[in-house]
Amino acid sequence: MSIDPASNSTRRHFLATNAMGIGGTALAWLLHRQNLLANPIKPDLVREAHSLQTKLPHAAPKARAMISIFMQGGPSHIDLTDPKPILEKYAGQTFPGQIKYDNAAQASPKVLPSFWKFQKHGQCGMELSELLPHLGSVADDICLIRSMHTGVNNHGQSIDALNSGRPVSGRPALGSWLTYGLGSESDNLPAYMVLRDPANLPVLGVLNWSAGWLPSLYQGTVVRPREPRILNLDAPEHLRGQPQKQFLDLVSAFNREHLEKHPGELDLEARIASFELAARMQTAAADAMDISRESEATKKLYGIDQEATREFGTRCLIARRLVERGVRFVQIFTQNQFWDHHGNILTALPAACKKIDQPSVALVKDLKSRGLLDSTLVHWGGEMGRLPVIQNDTGRNRVGRDHNTYGFSMWLAGGGIRSGHIHGTTDEWGVNAERDIVNHYDYHATLLHLFGLDHARLIYKRNAVEQTLTDSQPARVVKEILA
Amino acid sequence: MELNTAMAPTPLCTAVFRLAVFPALLAIPAFNLAAVPALTFEKDIRPIFKAHCFHCHGEEGKTKGGLDLRLKRLLTKGGETGPAIVAGKPDSSLLYKNIVSGEMPKGGKKLAPAEIATIRAWIDKGAPIARAEPEDPNAALITEEERAWWAFQPLRKPAVPANGASNPIDAFLLARLKPKGLSLSLAADRRTLLRRATFDLTGLPPTPEETEAFLKDTAHDAYDKLIDRLLASPRYGERWGRHWLDVAGYADSEGYTDTDRERAWAWRYRDYVIRAFNSDMPFDRFVQEQLAGDEMVKPPHTQLAPEQIDKLTATGFLSMAPDGTGQGGDEMLARNEAIAGTLHIVGTSLLGLTLDCARCHNHRYDPIPQADYYKMRAVFSPALDWKNWRVPAARQISLYTDADRAKATAIEEKAKSLDADRTKKVEHFVGLTLDWQLTKQPENLRTALRTAYRLPDANRTAEQKALLKDHPSIGNISSGSLYLYDNEYSGEATKRDTERKTKLAAHLERVRKNAIEAAPADQRASLDAARQVAADKRTAEQKQLLSTHPAAAVEESSLAQFDAAAAAELKALADRAQQFRDMLSEKLLKEMAAKSKEVRDTKPEEQFIRALTEPAGALPITHVFHRGDSAQPKEAVKPGELTVVSLPTNSIPEKDAALPSSGRRLALAKRLTDGTHPLTGRVLMNRIWMHHFGRGIVDTPGDFGRLGELPSHPELLDWLAADFAQNGWQLKRLHKLIMTSHAYRQTAQRTKQLDAADPDNRLLGRMNVRRIESEIIRDSVLAASGQINLEMFGKPVPVMEDEVGQIILGKENLDGERKPGQAIDLQGQQFRRSVYVQVRRSRVLSLFNAFDAPAMEPTCAKRAVSTVAPQALIFMNSEFVIDQSRAMALRLQKAHPENPDRQLALAWQLALCREPSVADLARARAFLTSQSALFTEQKDKEAGLTALASCCHALISSNGFIYVD
Repeated sequence: MSIDPASNSTRRHFLATNAMGIGGTALAWLLHRQNLLANPIKPDLVREAHSLQTKLPHAAPKARAMISIFMQGGPSHIDLTDPKPILEKYAGQTFPGQIKYDNAAQASPKVLPSFWKFQKHGQCGMELSELLPHLGSVADDICLIRSMHTGVNNHGQSIDALNSGRPVSGRPALGSWLTYGLGSESDNLPAYMVLRDPANLPVLGVLNWSAGWLPSLYQGTVVRPREPRILNLDAPEHLRGQPQKQFLDLVSAFNREHLEKHPGELDLEARIASFELAARMQTAAADAMDISRESEATKKLYGIDQEATREFGTRCLIARRLVERGVRFVQIFTQNQFWDHHGNILTALPAACKKIDQPSVALVKDLKSRGLLDSTLVHWGGEMGRLPVIQNDTGRNRVGRDHNTYGFSMWLAGGGIRSGHIHGTTDEWGVNAERDIVNHYDYHATLLHLFGLDHARLIYKRNAVEQTLTDSQPARVVKEILA
Repeated sequence: MELNTAMAPTPLCTAVFRLAVFPALLAIPAFNLAAVPALTFEKDIRPIFKAHCFHCHGEEGKTKGGLDLRLKRLLTKGGETGPAIVAGKPDSSLLYKNIVSGEMPKGGKKLAPAEIATIRAWIDKGAPIARAEPEDPNAALITEEERAWWAFQPLRKPAVPANGASNPIDAFLLARLKPKGLSLSLAADRRTLLRRATFDLTGLPPTPEETEAFLKDTAHDAYDKLIDRLLASPRYGERWGRHWLDVAGYADSEGYTDTDRERAWAWRYRDYVIRAFNSDMPFDRFVQEQLAGDEMVKPPHTQLAPEQIDKLTATGFLSMAPDGTGQGGDEMLARNEAIAGTLHIVGTSLLGLTLDCARCHNHRYDPIPQADYYKMRAVFSPALDWKNWRVPAARQISLYTDADRAKATAIEEKAKSLDADRTKKVEHFVGLTLDWQLTKQPENLRTALRTAYRLPDANRTAEQKALLKDHPSIGNISSGSLYLYDNEYSGEATKRDTERKTKLAAHLERVRKNAIEAAPADQRASLDAARQVAADKRTAEQKQLLSTHPAAAVEESSLAQFDAAAAAELKALADRAQQFRDMLSEKLLKEMAAKSKEVRDTKPEEQFIRALTEPAGALPITHVFHRGDSAQPKEAVKPGELTVVSLPTNSIPEKDAALPSSGRRLALAKRLTDGTHPLTGRVLMNRIWMHHFGRGIVDTPGDFGRLGELPSHPELLDWLAADFAQNGWQLKRLHKLIMTSHAYRQTAQRTKQLDAADPDNRLLGRMNVRRIESEIIRDSVLAASGQINLEMFGKPVPVMEDEVGQIILGKENLDGERKPGQAIDLQGQQFRRSVYVQVRRSRVLSLFNAFDAPAMEPTCAKRAVSTVAPQALIFMNSEFVIDQSRAMALRLQKAHPENPDRQLALAWQLALCREPSVADLARARAFLTSQSALFTEQKDKEAGLTALASCCHALISSNGFIYVD
């Protein structure tokens, strides 16, 4: 074994005289390669590195963050946001038009008028159901779209359409596209967070926040209904606080000692730093989830003082806290089929509204009073509405309404959306969107536009195909609903 | 101090070698740095034009503006707007002006300032050329300068530098270190070496027993024996097989489409690779089998012998690219992409070239004309023919024997007859449902509805269709919707049960009352009392009394005797309820379906090989695709290897007459492994080197072209490749050669001197500190905890999404709405080595993903190493790490009950392969005491264990655990 004890003086000598000294005739190539071909200026062929660093959109954005309150199951627009007086006239009679049913066995063509009264609200005179008294109080702050359309009559497909661009599974969710396009504004929190219901997951489960074929960096991070609230970000309960501090101190002691044996190894130092950053992220997440320091007035605003609204109100409030801290996209989900009122609509719909109305509206009010509404887009809506005819014709207390994805409502607020505005209509029966139809492509093009992104240019290249959220479908930015 | 180390050298090292140094140093020739070669078109200008301009000015048939930039002569001649250059006058040269103004290149990326300066200087110097230009511009497709690229030079075995080193590797490295005044560093200590070698060859930490045995072995060849032992371990094939699977783009799913279908049988190829490494299959054979194993097995591929199965399995290599064919979507695109993916894998793994760049046009940097790409494609065309495509399932080869097949056929027949029974039952239920639903419709419509319903849809009139649409509860009755009616039927049945119950009570009460009232007044009380006494407890008088007035003791069973009409009414109700119950279809139909599935499940499991074969007689013509577009085929090409590395005579036949198949792939395989091929050997040696030293001799292992990095030690690379081929392509021999070099055994310590002279350690004056890869992190944690399950081979351990969308190990169990059902126990499979974990392209295990595991789109030539906070969070908080820490603590307690210090010593051995120091022990004891106190406060009954787990957790999370030095 040969080890060369070259002396310092020798080394200096070599540096001076043999700066190019590689030695050995066979290495002549290396020395003379400039005689063969000039060194190329290398193009940027490196695969695009993915990161959550803040990226500039295509144009000046109106919205910086978005909170989507996803009403899974399909709230009945006919009973909540889109009054249809003609139904009274034809109550119990056979519906004269064409209807697509989802549940054949319980289907009936008998017209079912709403059990509830509508009233005008705000200066804009938005007609809303008595079931949503709180929503009425922000009528002038929201934009109600009554002409939504996906045209795929079951839950999964319609959720896919509204949440990932097309009614097929496996595509990245809207939140993934936004974080892919814009990165994060928070160093300490995930860019895309999901507040799921404690009871269970919505239809499609975890696919609702899947990054699909986008790098998993852009996947939604779920806040769990139980401890640890954020997997990996939260320590398991028994390690919280002091035990973890001691643990981290011990890791740090090991690492410092190890580093002393490998001075100058930047990778080792980087890993030590990564633990420090991780600990900061933990604190930040815990802080974001902790609503104890919110004022009583704020908690009351969200209904956290009442049993019916406490849980949902807490999640709405956390959503605001996340957005305040730079999270790009927050999605709040109701439980599985929460609004899927095939039967018992008389009792079930008021109960659902009771839980949702005040907290959702509180979010708009709270964001507005904090000056955050201008830059935060709030979305409220589900994957479908419902039909004007009876399902389960077995008595007043048991009737319900079947699916309708051909015409339904949702509302948006803030983030560059026109306020106090009603866009589009359904036909007189509430079955089909009729005027100013907004389909899922238009909806997504508009959302991206608010974020300064051009839906046709927010591209991810995959398998030789340039993929977009709107999947190269004709999509229109709905200018009429922009502020 | 002269050594590259902060540590004191052993006296032996210094004394012996000082003398040997100076003659060697003096022998190195000095180079004249002032000799800057002149600019020429071929060397300096053409490459720039090739990268930026040829696309419009020289290729694609018609040249834009009539200007062809491929030869200097054509520049002088110019195009429609006159000469492009005026020699000696850059400022009067149209080409130069247009480039400076940014007008050219149009659309594409502008030239860099250095490139523009070169062009100016060249024109200024009179636009010299290196030699007379060819008549035909097309003849200049590959220039002498391009042919002279280092990686295309014939492979020769260079002489080992004579500098006293006994291992040739050391000799080559020293030859570059010495002129810089550097040398190799001291050997690392034995524990470090043991850990390094064990991780390198097995991907696992050494066990405490292995450590002890090695440290005790004072024989001079202890280290050699260690290497032999590690090479003989089955873990070796798992470790090095995984490296190969990276370049092969191994995946258990098809990728490409959103569904990312599973590849049921890809794992056989994975097992083949592991076995090949473990058995030290000569690497030339390994390459040949993967490229053409099918051509070595005579068809038909039935009743296969094990070695035939192996050869066919090996061709799974060519079925690894993402394949979205046969799944809807643009089928032709999908097929051509699958072929392109396969060529990409071949190009990256065996040629070290970015072949794909020549798919749409001549390669912009390397001498790969577009036609060469299609010549290579033609080699694979008989098996992967985009016009006569076989989807992945159709390319599989069944391992059924004839007996298996006969048995399966018999079982299938039985199952089919069960299916037929079920179909009859479905029709029966549809009929019942129709009858009942019609009763709810207005009478005048019933016949019309029934007629309409019973007609096939195509035969229905518009009115009939409308009628059914208006009556959805009739129109939508189908086998699929039957279950929806069950609710109604059980409701109807219950309704009648209730009615019957109420009526029964009323009838009994009435008959009884009438009987008592019919009796003489004085007997009524006794009669009423008697009937209330249980029959066997009645006195003789009571019996007597009741026999005279039997109706007073009426019961359900005797009602008919006293009131036949009432009994009949009740029976009618019961019958009706039963009729409704008989209409409940869901459970029965499900049971019937389950029954036929049960029968089908008794078939012998049909196993398959995911292979690549050529259909008999397939010899499709391969065309160059204009701009890579399959809709624009141009001239036909014959199969052939890349021109720049081809032999004087084409080594690839269109059809090998001696074989049933075309023989094209077999010929390519033989050419690649003939021991002289300029690329294959170098590319392979570079990979092996990379995995031992953390970096290749060429730092871009998938690109040996001009955009890649230059080799740091080209002679060494050549020597290794030539020596490898000369010695039977034995990988284990090569490992041993490398690992017994001093270079491999040196310490990873940095020194100021080394850092200053060679900051990137390209010259390898020391070892590199490396982080272990994602799979090895997981395996090491399982090894430390003792949970690791070393079962080899077979179906992959499945992955699934958990409740928050993380990818974890587990069997998916979701209902139609993706609500999770009960967790399925993996029965120890969850502790198997990572190489056996299912590789789903769209679902990389979250743990792997966090630590830079590749997504296989389509392959991975070199893994990235990132260090980010989410990785730290996984170590801090993930269920996996925390569970395994606890398992490790239990292991320690079990090994050394009641002996905390020995428990800690074992922990250090398991995690760090060393004994804890006195200070380590003191710190750990203090930690255990205070952690334990905190857990006791939490009412943890096993606070001591939890504290020990926390200590293990810290060891596993420490840098010492996941870095190898």
